[in-house]
Amino acid sequence: MKNLMKKAAAILLAGTMILSLAACGGSAPQQGDGGNESSAAAADTAKSGDVKVIKFYHRFPDEPYNSFIEKKLHEYEETHQDIKFDIFAAQNQEYKEKVKIVVGGEDTPDIFFSWAGEFTERFIREGLILDLNPYFEADPEWKDSLIETQMDIYTNDDGMIYGIPFRLDAKVMFYNRDILEENEIEVPETWDEFIAACEKLKAAGITPISYGNQQQWPSAHYIGTLNQIFVSDEVREKDYNPSSGEFTDPGYVKALEYYQQLLPYMSDTPNAVLPDMARTSFAMGQSAFCYLELVEIPYLAMDNPDINYGMFSFPRVEGAEGNQDILTGAPEGFVISSKTKYPDECVEFLKWFLGKEVGTEQCMEIGWFNAAKDTTAGLTDQGLIDGYNTIISAASMSEWLDNALYSTVTDEYLTAVSDLTNGDATPEEVMQRIQVKAKEAQTLVGTGTAG
Amino acid sequence: MKTKKHTPYLYMLPGLIMVLCFVYIPVITNIGYSFFRLSSYSAGARFVGLDNYRRFFSSDVLPIMLRNNILYAVISLIVQVGFGTVMALVLESTLLKPGASAFYRNFYYIPALISLTAVGLMFTYIYDPSVGFLNGLLKIFGIPGKGWLGDSKLAIYCIIAMSQWQFTGYITLLMVVAFQNVPRDYVEAAAIDGAGPVKRAIHIMIPQAKEQLLVCTIITIIGAFKLYTEVYSTTAGGPGNSSQVLGLFLYQQAFLHDDLGMAAVTGVFIFVITVTLSIIQIRVTRSGQE
Repeated sequence: MKNLMKKAAAILLAGTMILSLAACGGSAPQQGDGGNESSAAAADTAKSGDVKVIKFYHRFPDEPYNSFIEKKLHEYEETHQDIKFDIFAAQNQEYKEKVKIVVGGEDTPDIFFSWAGEFTERFIREGLILDLNPYFEADPEWKDSLIETQMDIYTNDDGMIYGIPFRLDAKVMFYNRDILEENEIEVPETWDEFIAACEKLKAAGITPISYGNQQQWPSAHYIGTLNQIFVSDEVREKDYNPSSGEFTDPGYVKALEYYQQLLPYMSDTPNAVLPDMARTSFAMGQSAFCYLELVEIPYLAMDNPDINYGMFSFPRVEGAEGNQDILTGAPEGFVISSKTKYPDECVEFLKWFLGKEVGTEQCMEIGWFNAAKDTTAGLTDQGLIDGYNTIISAASMSEWLDNALYSTVTDEYLTAVSDLTNGDATPEEVMQRIQVKAKEAQTLVGTGTAG
Repeated sequence: MKTKKHTPYLYMLPGLIMVLCFVYIPVITNIGYSFFRLSSYSAGARFVGLDNYRRFFSSDVLPIMLRNNILYAVISLIVQVGFGTVMALVLESTLLKPGASAFYRNFYYIPALISLTAVGLMFTYIYDPSVGFLNGLLKIFGIPGKGWLGDSKLAIYCIIAMSQWQFTGYITLLMVVAFQNVPRDYVEAAAIDGAGPVKRAIHIMIPQAKEQLLVCTIITIIGAFKLYTEVYSTTAGGPGNSSQVLGLFLYQQAFLHDDLGMAAVTGVFIFVITVTLSIIQIRVTRSGQE
């Protein structure tokens, strides 16, 4: 009896030990915490034979965008019985974090949303992204079906095409037609006209520009545009590259000084205002101007279906040294992991998903355009048509400043401009802080730390 | 039944292994990581010696973070522990009927049950300059509103105030439990000897609840140095770096700037601070020796 008890106790203890050891020694790989029905279903079918499971990550969990994407993916599954999608979606910030963690590991998604520029280039430096050039070379018709200026953004300095746009986007100045007419103001084209218009509106007791910078990235859109206006393309290109960035050109300070000129005409305490709230206040007719992205057009109509708005390019500054023909903004799209087991299938799917057929439905249903040509035939919404034409007629586009720069430099830019907005720093001080970070970034990127 | 010498240790083993795996080994690995440069997606790590420490200690943000964390700790000690203890004394005193006492106890505790993120979001709207509740309230009294979370000087105080609202009730509840355990005889004896409510509180209740008060102080101070969600869900450290704190800085280094080495340094720093503070507190109050 005594022996039996002893044995039982020993077994119990050993069992507990094994369990606790198993718990700490690297748990079995889990399905992505998308953990929804589709992933479970996908895992089930994967076992059943030669079904190919493609992990698909995107960052549009909002409706109606999420439903549209899922609907299209399921349509593709129906016509391609061997393909199953394992879908995961998260909001902007969470998405960025999730992707950075999974992309390097064994659990990497096959196809995933990724911002053009430094965000994806850090993965390219680690060899994690599939080079699409061979596929484009093999199918010139596909290449011709896409808008060239939009594809440029997803091509890096070495000529590698690494992604295909899902939605086109650009930043333009929106204005409230009624307010401008009531105050007898012409749509401004130059900086001086714009400031004069703001002055007149302010004198009439109207907030000229809605601006919410609580999340700090909206300032990057102003500064990105102003940097293009005041700093030449070559200098900017050199500075935006993390291994050669210095930010010593006086144009950068000038850009910040022009930004400062706008502050008296913007919403009170912009650092306390959420960007969505700023957009809503513009939509509700509480201000005359708002610097918005074209993808925000559907939201304006949601906030106020009666809003009577128009749009114009960012005001030109006469005699400035930079390039004023660049349209600020970049398309956002999908890339394929270099670790995928099914590169051909992924490419084949993206050809369809980001092509003309889906693109046509996409702009009708959710008001977003992809980079395929001739997708807007059935469109009637004038705002969307204007927006589309702005992008199509742009000579060139630029990456968003906060995606173009090395992450620590971006962070310093955002926090320093936030200080500038509050009057806690001067333009010179801001640039000094950025120069320090840019110098540090040179060493970080040089030593192989991805950024 | 004769007990073998090593049997008790065998029983301790599973627990010990769990603690080792989930507490001590990560702490030690983290110290190791702090000497490397690596990101979550890069294949290799590069040894950089003390460079991460150099960058951390020469960072302009460090003094701001320390100031903010210390501010949070000091204000929380005064409001949550100080005021919370006073509230607990009132709730446990004879001033209130037992029913009312139970009601207030639950009422004050409710905010602590709401998730931190939800509270952060709620307060973002309360502090909103144009449609916010706070500016609306001030307007009634003719006081001009402010850009609360957008003001570099006010932002951190707004966040601290939010936490006081949420957690004072929690500390109150913990102290109420401690006061309930004070033997009634002592309190009655003191009352018979002529001690008023204040004297009873100072000489009987608080000394008797010393252990709990220590626990509350420790969790409040350690909480102040681990502060993260409250800032993340309201200002994310802004405007500028004015409301940056150590916990959020750690997170941003790891997941925003892909600098796990720097994040590890921040982790080590927080660890050293909290362990030191705990040791000092336990020494000073000589806990467990009486």
